Amino acid sequence: MRNRLRVLRAERSWSQAELAGRLQVSRQTVNAIETGKYDPGLPLAFRIARLFGQPIEGIFEPDDEAPARHEEGPAAVARPA
Amino acid sequence: MTPELTARTRSTFCGDLTAHDHRNLMRYNYWLLAWVALWTVGSLTVKHGGATFHGPLGWAVAALTALPGVAALHAYIVFLREADELLRKVQLEALGLTFGVGALFMMSWRVVERAGGPSLDITTPLFLMFFVWGFAQWWVARRYR
Repeated sequence: MRNRLRVLRAERSWSQAELAGRLQVSRQTVNAIETGKYDPGLPLAFRIARLFGQPIEGIFEPDDEAPARHEEGPAAVARPA
Repeated sequence: MTPELTARTRSTFCGDLTAHDHRNLMRYNYWLLAWVALWTVGSLTVKHGGATFHGPLGWAVAALTALPGVAALHAYIVFLREADELLRKVQLEALGLTFGVGALFMMSWRVVERAGGPSLDITTPLFLMFFVWGFAQWWVARRYR
């Protein structure tokens, strides 16, 4: 899974420890999620989504979807009708 | 930023723990120490107590020494149930590794015994499993750092 947790945290100028406190998890868990070493379970994913006021799919996306969406974007624009 | 948002995590050899998880883990550790201490006293008492402890009194001592062990087991289950989900994953992998190494060691040593090797005391694989458990927690946790 890819996620935007680090970006969202940076936008709010929160440290990993502060985000961990708000999510009631350890700092290591936040770091593991941000670096892609660990994918959170649904309850934690919902807590993250609620904290940042976004839908889960706005924060997390499967690895296999990311390249496909990327190809659709610029390629679709450049492709003649 | 409020203090409770920054001072929640404690670093240990088995990974970072929230204050809640640390409290649960320490509760387990205290019961474990109490069990080891009482088991040692009870075991030595029965061993050196002579015929007095052969029979029901010895069994009663065995049951009594097991009580803190039951409390430790309960404390560990509570720790697992309430643990941070990454910590739970670390513990699951460490327990799986420990069980596997322990079972492999015991079954392999049984073959060694049948081949004329020395017989092992039942506590030997237990000590090995505790050592492997500690090492496995550190080893698994570092993958997520």
